[in-house]
Amino acid sequence: LQASKNRKKKWDIGKLIYMNNISPADCIKRWRGEAEDETVSDVESETEEDFFKQRAAGSEKVGVDDDLEKFKPHFETFKKLVAKWSSADSIKHRFLGAPKASAAHE
Amino acid sequence: MASPRITTFQGNRNFRLLIVLATLSGKPIKIEKIRSEDLNPGLRDHEVSFLRLMEAMTNGSSIEISYTGTTVIYKPGIITGGSYTHQCPPGKPVGYFVEPMLYLAPFSKKKFSVIFRGITASHDDAGLEAIKWGLMPVMEKFGVRECALHTLKRGSPPLGGGEVHLVVDSLISQPITMHALETPQISSIRGVAYSTRVSPSMVNRMIDGARKVLKSVGCEVDITADAWRGENSGKSPGWGITLVAETKKGWRYFSEGIGGAGDVPEDLGAQIAYELLEEISNSAVVGRNQLALAVVYMVIGKEDIGRLRITKSQIDEKFICLLRHIQEIFGTEVFLRPVDDEDSDDLIATIKGIGFTNSNKKMA
Repeated sequence: LQASKNRKKKWDIGKLIYMNNISPADCIKRWRGEAEDETVSDVESETEEDFFKQRAAGSEKVGVDDDLEKFKPHFETFKKLVAKWSSADSIKHRFLGAPKASAAHE
Repeated sequence: MASPRITTFQGNRNFRLLIVLATLSGKPIKIEKIRSEDLNPGLRDHEVSFLRLMEAMTNGSSIEISYTGTTVIYKPGIITGGSYTHQCPPGKPVGYFVEPMLYLAPFSKKKFSVIFRGITASHDDAGLEAIKWGLMPVMEKFGVRECALHTLKRGSPPLGGGEVHLVVDSLISQPITMHALETPQISSIRGVAYSTRVSPSMVNRMIDGARKVLKSVGCEVDITADAWRGENSGKSPGWGITLVAETKKGWRYFSEGIGGAGDVPEDLGAQIAYELLEEISNSAVVGRNQLALAVVYMVIGKEDIGRLRITKSQIDEKFICLLRHIQEIFGTEVFLRPVDDEDSDDLIATIKGIGFTNSNKKMA
């Protein structure tokens, strides 16, 4: 595992999901290739120091935990959504019988 | 007395899901360190209430809660169903309780007929239309055809006063093996905008806001106005909207939201419409809010391989947690492989059912 710290390594999400020593958030990060280098060694050495850290992060952590129970998925803020969807062309192909005119010139 | 190996979990994450999975698998679980770092440690009211509900809907379950409430040992019994009335605590809406019932109801001994009283809408949990039009169609795809959620009264937060009736008449021995390899095409967008104890014009303003956004996709949009008044509209004013994108194949994508203090109805309508577009763009066959239900049904299916197309963006923290819990409780892993199509970076989740059978049903 230590050897695979290399950032360039392409992670197989299928395996990554079941590596229980890696937190889900880290899995996603690694898979998308945005992991920081230290994460792996951290997992092992963290236990002792983490004891203190966790206390401090306690309040924040509760918020994260409750998130999982949430039914509603996470969405960007209204402004970002407006900007992204000023045109719905990118998902035109998902609709039946959408007017071909605008889809065709793409 | 204690069985040799109890699967242990920590924290209050996915509490309902763990209990549901344990019930389906028939394996005892122990959840410890529930909010043990919190100033107010242990189970919350709604979680205890949920455990009560589980106790009522099963026979032979044993639930032990430690003195501080930070540890729960749950030994599941068999799912019996039947008629029951559940009073939901004010902290959580009925959707919080109805949603996990959908995982269990089809595999019960008797038909589920449960009345839930309390708040019927919230910002975080499943709303009534979301369950009716978003989750139940998923169940239908797995062979659970006769299920319905009747809205008897609506009750907006904070005072509630709503009442809904969950009826699940299909009792099946196991879900159908699902093969959904193609992203279905959306044929129309439907929705409901409702209001309780406020001017019905709010409803029309929400619809206007949503329509304006959805005009650009060029597909049929039909949003129903549903203004509740009098006795049946609960104790608090409130309003909300649910939008559902329908496909010919029966899959649905949906988004929902309710208005809070100071919100403008047009903006809420527009926001939910944008969220629907976002959800459509992020999903293949099911939306993120339907994924857990679909995956669990696939896991407890026949000993055959089911396949479900998902997108890369659907693999998030929640999904990983779900798969890990499934692996820990059922011992089953989900395999992900890319689709054959080169233009798409979607994945196919391949799941072998565990051959779960409803112990209350005779095998044909």
